[in-house]
Amino acid sequence: MTTRALTTTGARPVTGPRAPRRRAGLAVYLVVGTLLSIVFVVPLAWAVFRSMLPDALVTTAPSRADLSHLSFGNYTGLIRGGIMHSTLNSLMVAVMTAGATALVATMAGYGFARFRFRGSGIVFALILATLMVPFQALLTPLFLEMHSLDLTNNLIGLALFYTTFNLPFGVFVMRNTFLQIPWELSEQAAVDGASPTRTLVSVLRPLILPGVATTVLYAFLFSWTEFVGALTFLTSNNLYTLPLALINMEYGSVGQVNFGFLEAGAVIAMIPCVVLYIALQRYYIRGLTSGVVKG
Amino acid sequence: MVSSRQKVTGEKSGSRDATVVPRAGSRFRFVPPRLGGSLRVRRGRTGILLVSPAFALVAVFVLFPLGFAVYISATNWPLIGSYHMVGGSNYSQLAHDPVFIHSVLFTLLYTAIVTGPILIVGYTLAAFVRANRPGSVLFRTAFFLPFIVGLATESFMLLLELQPESGAIDAVLGKLGLASASTAWTVHYGLALGAICVFVIWFASGLTMMILMGGMQGIPTELYEAANVDGATWWQKERRITIPMLRRNIALSLIISVIGSFLAFNQFFILTQGGPGTQTEPIVMWIYEEAFVDYHLGYATAGAIALVVVVGIVSAAQFFLLRDENTRTVRRGRQSRPGRRA
Repeated sequence: MTTRALTTTGARPVTGPRAPRRRAGLAVYLVVGTLLSIVFVVPLAWAVFRSMLPDALVTTAPSRADLSHLSFGNYTGLIRGGIMHSTLNSLMVAVMTAGATALVATMAGYGFARFRFRGSGIVFALILATLMVPFQALLTPLFLEMHSLDLTNNLIGLALFYTTFNLPFGVFVMRNTFLQIPWELSEQAAVDGASPTRTLVSVLRPLILPGVATTVLYAFLFSWTEFVGALTFLTSNNLYTLPLALINMEYGSVGQVNFGFLEAGAVIAMIPCVVLYIALQRYYIRGLTSGVVKG
Repeated sequence: MVSSRQKVTGEKSGSRDATVVPRAGSRFRFVPPRLGGSLRVRRGRTGILLVSPAFALVAVFVLFPLGFAVYISATNWPLIGSYHMVGGSNYSQLAHDPVFIHSVLFTLLYTAIVTGPILIVGYTLAAFVRANRPGSVLFRTAFFLPFIVGLATESFMLLLELQPESGAIDAVLGKLGLASASTAWTVHYGLALGAICVFVIWFASGLTMMILMGGMQGIPTELYEAANVDGATWWQKERRITIPMLRRNIALSLIISVIGSFLAFNQFFILTQGGPGTQTEPIVMWIYEEAFVDYHLGYATAGAIALVVVVGIVSAAQFFLLRDENTRTVRRGRQSRPGRRA
């Protein structure tokens, strides 16, 4: 106990004889951290800057003079070219995926954590084993199967596909979320005569929200710019999600690629990810560390 | 995966009529006898209902396609028209296909290059942000941001910066005298591979950081306090305490990054289009091109099955190699210790 009092860092006030040294240590920490942050964030901010340059400037070496030519020209040009349609497609797929994953994973997590039934271990293992099956390797059978079910060239079909491959993570997180809730809570509710659904909605809901937020964020971020699945299962232009619209700009264009447009399109794809993550990261990290890592 | 094992053992010990049901992560519980009988049957049925949508999706979009893939791989399936069985000939053809073999070797090379740096950079970042110091939360956010934005989006951004004359990479390296300002990164094998590896390390280290940081914060502070009393250096504490306690997290992050590398597609498809020729074509891209550009669905699927098998073996092997008796006792010790940092 005495050693703890002597050596615990953290919440100790910065006073006393060793304070200057600690303050210097903190300064070094902040400087190193800032430099490292620059490495990770500046390339992304740089893309925002480059997206505001006309194509003629974007295709020349960056220079100080660029700063006086900033405009939203690429964005207005993209909007005229129909980028909002692809953005909406991406958004619809991502929202459908996030909603479906949250619903299905919450149900399954509840089922695995709170109910005993024959085969639950096997079914749970099967769902988790999906983590080991790369969907990238199942493109051909999935294409043929989804084609025969009319799910190719279909945003709902794409969302169902995304939902499935988000399930192992989602179910795992939700099951652990339920397991961390004191067993007494649902028992008490059962004794009071609440049905399992009622218990979930009225008693457990606030306690599982961090897990749900994690599941939703993962599913949304995964499907928002997922590439190879969309490339395989969508073929008509008017269903293209954002990355497909961009690859179309890169590959499909005759002659020179319009890099200004491409850069602006990439920034449009980036913004929701950044906003969502920064707004919800508390849940995101809590879910990540409690779900996957603690096992 | 560990918890699935926990689940199984938990069920074994918590047999039907037992009134004492041990449960992962909680105290032994006394289950009142009136919760038995028909109520238990009904609750079992509710459980099945609750998990069935998840199971149905997995059955339709994973299990069936997996079996179907094995079947397709034994045919000469074209995109349109009839097919017939060809037995194992797709597989024997694979073994002699220089393009396929190159894509396998290329994927292995790429994986070998990026895995170590991702772990080391991720570990360093995790060690840097694990304590709650002023700024650490902000730094975590910054380091994780590239992973959040996604590889596809960032590949489009990088495409511009890798262009000769106009890209920022050439501008910076040219100023520093490290490369010519007209270096065309995406059309030379070595340059493209190098650039993509650096890019992916930048992208993926944040995830490894998060996985390791979660584990680091679960290590009881008492261990470090004892080490401090003994006058241990930073590196001694990392080597003797953090790394052994982190085995499972390290295993997990390695599995995630190795499998991620095996399945690389976006960065190559967007940045090099597999070129020059098919020199930077990873396996997934080979499958995609073979199936949906050349319409050899049967043949492509045979390659895909090989990928499924390899990914399965890697996950199994890494779990096996990185788990030992030690981690299990550590885990148990951790669970029963009340005063640990959460």
